[in-house]
Amino acid sequence: MRRGAAIATMAIALGVSGVGAYRLAPAPAVESAGWREVAWPFPRDGWPAGRAFRCDGACAGTELYVRAKRGFCNCDRGVADDDEVDRVADIDLISPRFAAVAPGEEVGLGEMRGRARRYDLDTADGVRHAAIGIAVSRRCDLFVAAAQGRGEAGAVQRAALAFLETPEMKVWATAALDGK
Amino acid sequence: MFRCVPLAAGLVLFACSITAQAQQKQTIGAPPEASNMKLVGTNDLQARSAYQPTIHRQGDRWIAYIGHHGGTDDVPAPVNPMTGQAEPNGTSIVDVTDPARPKYLRHLPGQEGKYESGGAQMVRVCDGKSLPKGDPNAVYMLRTFGSEAHEIWNVADPANPVLVTRIGGLKDTHKSWWECDTGIAFLVSGAPDWRTRRMTQIYDLGDPAHPQKIRDFGLPGQEPGSTGAVPTELHGPISTGPDGNRVFFGYGTNKGGILQIVDRDKLLNGPKEPTPDNLRYPEISRMPMSAFNGAHTTFPMLDMPVAEFAEDKDGKTRDIVMIVDEAILNECGEARQMVWFADVTTETRPMMISSYTVPEAGGQFCQRGGRFGSHSSNESMAPVYYKKMAFIAFFNAGVRALDIRDPYHPKEVGYFIPAITQATDKRCIPVEGGERCKVAIQTNNVETDDRGYIYIVDRANTGLHILELTGPARAAAGLPRN
Repeated sequence: MRRGAAIATMAIALGVSGVGAYRLAPAPAVESAGWREVAWPFPRDGWPAGRAFRCDGACAGTELYVRAKRGFCNCDRGVADDDEVDRVADIDLISPRFAAVAPGEEVGLGEMRGRARRYDLDTADGVRHAAIGIAVSRRCDLFVAAAQGRGEAGAVQRAALAFLETPEMKVWATAALDGK
Repeated sequence: MFRCVPLAAGLVLFACSITAQAQQKQTIGAPPEASNMKLVGTNDLQARSAYQPTIHRQGDRWIAYIGHHGGTDDVPAPVNPMTGQAEPNGTSIVDVTDPARPKYLRHLPGQEGKYESGGAQMVRVCDGKSLPKGDPNAVYMLRTFGSEAHEIWNVADPANPVLVTRIGGLKDTHKSWWECDTGIAFLVSGAPDWRTRRMTQIYDLGDPAHPQKIRDFGLPGQEPGSTGAVPTELHGPISTGPDGNRVFFGYGTNKGGILQIVDRDKLLNGPKEPTPDNLRYPEISRMPMSAFNGAHTTFPMLDMPVAEFAEDKDGKTRDIVMIVDEAILNECGEARQMVWFADVTTETRPMMISSYTVPEAGGQFCQRGGRFGSHSSNESMAPVYYKKMAFIAFFNAGVRALDIRDPYHPKEVGYFIPAITQATDKRCIPVEGGERCKVAIQTNNVETDDRGYIYIVDRANTGLHILELTGPARAAAGLPRN
């Protein structure tokens, strides 16, 4: 009798934890334009982790890292200049040694506006990578993206922006900015 | 009998939930929540969002100068009832000689703009007679003008300030420090060519009419022409003057804070070109904080006797820096921002020794609305409280009085959470398809005067509250019974 009760209890517990695990699992990978989701590769910092993607299609080898940064002081002015992109776009997560190759440009993601900028990365393997940083704002919050790849920076930027404009990513960005 | 038990349990649960609801929500007309602190007087500050109060003795008068953030979406420029005009938030000047009856003297408009983008948040005051080349009959108020300038006004007649000088062309400003005996000012500025929004511009304001620039300063990586990661931006410095020869810089707001200890003499007289080497030259040490916490205020309390160590052969006194983080997000949308105490006696090896936060469960503060967490401390070094009591502005948890005589074990001895009023502004968070708003006190800053009065101001437009300690908190501060 007791043994049966114990088995039943364990079965219930396993069932509950299974449901919990399912609910806690990350959102399913977005299958769009050759991008597949990979694990967030950076150590914990002041902002919650975001999502990381690797391109297997035309932009093979390019990686994209995106996350919301809630709590940004320039509520009215938004992402005002290129220095802001240098500071907030998470390029420093890939490598603290980076240099902008040109002035940035205005970009938009949905209704959010901000700037994108291209960089040369000096990485630990000694190989120089092209990278782009994107920062757009919604009121007092930021949505940022950083991408790196072996291709030309302009192509990396176009591929990243196209992916970020997909409905799945726009929905996720809105949810992330809402703190979900 | 058995039927009664669930009924009773249900009633208890219901009562508890009603109590919890009552604790969560502030209502207009309800009394303030207080322990060992008492309200003395109030002023509505024309329902302007308040940042920094500075209380200054001018002859036999006591004047409060209060900086304001920009306006709100609903009221970008409140009407000044004294002029009948809509005026962008700037500086409130209030006679607090009789703290029970504060008298609003003047509103000095600031930069147009809303929230952090306008107003005149920061204010410091020095007497002309204490400055090396000041007009001995003048009283000078240094304030920010929104994000674009620093200004100095002669407030010898506080109801009729006169502009003396302006340092403009900036992309941001914040919480500056001004040494009244030397005139050296550490202005938190955004120099246009620097890569950070906020760094330090050091000026000799010993003759306020003729500011002399000394140098720009910041962390390597912030200077013009640098590349790579940009270190956390400055929040504010506090100098111990030529005698102490140290400047304590706090970088960060709610993330990646840094306490930087700098040799003041090397800073002022060392090589000034902003190269990485020159920026490193005056630095004694820096202490990176957790990525979860910033450093809004870095308040030095040097050579503190610690009773617990009185019998020790070494280390009887300690150099302590109190570091206060700033909460940014409403309804606990971030890691807890709180108060930290660092022992910097061995300057090159600063170490965090203790911390303090308001217990969230004590008032269900995460559900009350607005920000919950610390923002700032009093910065007065007047003997009445210095190294004994600290007052911490804790947004919806009001002001908290800490007994810090043993900084290894800081202890809360009092608090005061003002009641909300019709003027108290809402605070909102995004929800599905819109936003949800609540109204709660947002105690933003606190300052004390030499008499021992405590001044708190509200970010959500509830105005100024003047307080005094009572009971055991008053005894802990060594004040006579009231």
